[in-house]
Amino acid sequence: MSCPQKDTTEPHVLKEEVIVSGKWVKLEKTVYMDPSGNTRTWETAKRTTRQVHTATDGVELIAILKRTLHKDCVVLVKQFRPPMGCYTLEFPAGLLDDGESAETAALRELKEETGYKGEVVGVTPVTCLDPGLSNCTTQIVMVNINGDDIENINPSQQLEFVEVILLPLDEFQKKINELMKKEKIVVDSKVYIYAMGISQAYFKPRELPVLKQ
Amino acid sequence: MEFEESGIGEECGVFGCVAAGEWPTQLEVGQILTLGLVALQHRGQESAGIVTSNGSSPPAYVTLKGMGLVNSAFKAEDLLKLRHGNLGIGHTRYSTTGISELQNCQPFVVDTLHGRIAVAHNGELVNAAALRKKVMRHGVGLSTCSDSELITQLLALTPPMEEADAPDWVARIKNLMTETPTSYSLLIMYKDVIYAVRDPYGNRPLSIGRMVKMRVKGMDHSKLVREGDTEGWVISSESCSFQSIGAKYYREVQPGEIVQVSKYGVKSLCVVPRPEGEPPAFCIFEYVYFARPDSIFEGQMVYTVRQRCGHQLAIEAPTEADVVSTVPESATPAALGYAQESGLPYVEVLCKNRYVGRTFIQPNTRLRQLGVAKKFGALTDNFAGKRVVLIDDSIVRGNTISPIIKLLKEAGATEVHIRVASPPIRFPCYMGINIPTKEELIANKPEFTDIAGYIGATSVRYLSVQGLVAAVQGGTASFGGKELEMISPSNNGIRRLGHCTACLTGKYPVELECTIIQNDSYTVC
Repeated sequence: MSCPQKDTTEPHVLKEEVIVSGKWVKLEKTVYMDPSGNTRTWETAKRTTRQVHTATDGVELIAILKRTLHKDCVVLVKQFRPPMGCYTLEFPAGLLDDGESAETAALRELKEETGYKGEVVGVTPVTCLDPGLSNCTTQIVMVNINGDDIENINPSQQLEFVEVILLPLDEFQKKINELMKKEKIVVDSKVYIYAMGISQAYFKPRELPVLKQ
Repeated sequence: MEFEESGIGEECGVFGCVAAGEWPTQLEVGQILTLGLVALQHRGQESAGIVTSNGSSPPAYVTLKGMGLVNSAFKAEDLLKLRHGNLGIGHTRYSTTGISELQNCQPFVVDTLHGRIAVAHNGELVNAAALRKKVMRHGVGLSTCSDSELITQLLALTPPMEEADAPDWVARIKNLMTETPTSYSLLIMYKDVIYAVRDPYGNRPLSIGRMVKMRVKGMDHSKLVREGDTEGWVISSESCSFQSIGAKYYREVQPGEIVQVSKYGVKSLCVVPRPEGEPPAFCIFEYVYFARPDSIFEGQMVYTVRQRCGHQLAIEAPTEADVVSTVPESATPAALGYAQESGLPYVEVLCKNRYVGRTFIQPNTRLRQLGVAKKFGALTDNFAGKRVVLIDDSIVRGNTISPIIKLLKEAGATEVHIRVASPPIRFPCYMGINIPTKEELIANKPEFTDIAGYIGATSVRYLSVQGLVAAVQGGTASFGGKELEMISPSNNGIRRLGHCTACLTGKYPVELECTIIQNDSYTVC
């Protein structure tokens, strides 16, 4: 077994020092050891709201509205996001309340933001959102909404500033691009990546490959 | 039952759908068309075709055609191709004398001066031969023997007065309607609309349905659901297809009417009148046999009319007997009506083997009779030692009822009285029903004077023509108000009743070219 040239250590955090803390977000100075054994610092943003029982800050939903004789549609939300200074197109999302599981939080947020009643069909493990900036994590919950159910036929939304947008899964990416042309919005990366994945997986096998010049 | 047995059938069913609201639509138009055709499967089992369009200019059409039943004609992967459709039309085809080729399957798609159109047709043009010559004289070549292709070519002809860049489809359709009086129910898809057309005599049926989104009033789900936004419009040969796709019956297309169905709604463009004084001629056999019992024509349900025929039959031809029964299943409503009117108890005497198909493929009479015998079993306990009245909806050749009578007698029926819920058929049909030649019809044979002896029954009675007409028209007078409201103002609201009974009486609604042909020795395709 060959030994590496330099001495390597397992990188790890040494100390976390709060620089400033607001009501929802705090800024910390993280002192850590890098793989070559040097001590370094990193500016880290963290939420103050993470519950004790969990490693997840919040949940995001990929909710598909299924109705008889209709195309399956993804439920998206459009809202003004102060940090971005503009409107964004995202999956419905929310933070975990005290003692809540990811599934419970997801269904609650879906009902609050969009008015739909859904069923959880899957949950991802804890995933990081922007690890170079913060320790924020999320679990993505897959939800099916039975659009034929009377509760879901004309759902009543409970949040004023959130606009629900339904886009068919069929040509999802194309529909997002059209929306971006029409309105000034920035699309959340998870939404866009999901759209690209759907296009490749679903339609490319059926379409003739097009050679790019 | 003999219609079913001998393969006498309605030539085709048509179905169309236009998605309402914003396009591209979230409705699965391809699926809706498929389900609609499945509901019209009884009108044609030979082949099915669907054409969807994205409705843009120029439109992108996708065509799917397949042989056999709708469920086996289209594969799931094929249906995926229809996913961009915002509107579309479909067609189920009945066996005709010609070769069953995919090319002959409707809907027909052609490019006209103003763009592509797709046409689906139910019916048979009474002056097809003369029209073919006329169209060919204009320089158009025809590739099939079908009159549906003829119709499509006639629509492509430029009418006089039409401007170079402004297609006038009402004029084109009106032009077609002056060229041929009957019979046709048409769906014409052009750009982002479907024109629904019914010939001036209204010989073949056509009705419109509205796909609705149910809206819940308030948050209390126990309250009655109110009708909400229209999700789409559907047009169908029969209204039985509406329920399976969540549509509500809206109204019939009136005889001679041209209706424009678009994402904005239903608009009556005009009603082409019949020559002065002539009544409409809706095929009475749609009520007697061809239509599904749950369909609605002229404001009345087909099942109810059949039941009234049974009532009428009991009044005209009462019987001294013990039980009333039916030849399953088409004669059941009439049998129930007969039982109700006569007071005799209704029992089931025959058990049908639903896996034995139509026997018309067997070439000769004897084999056909044997085939029929295997199709039914006798429910002996229900009638042994009793006098039975057996109701059937038709006797055309007499081949299919004889083995049934024999079966019942051998199982213990002391008497078998046949009561037919329709008058005897004596004349051919040129409007789309492939009735056998005059010579084959039992009513025209010398044996008909003792039909009971010929088929082995104790007695045979048919419903009279007047009785049938009374049973059919008895319910229509009462619906008066509601449906009239939806007729366009140009048709001053007066609804004349009229049914085609040509196969029963020999009185055809229009002058037929076949009689002219016979004199001039033309050959008909």
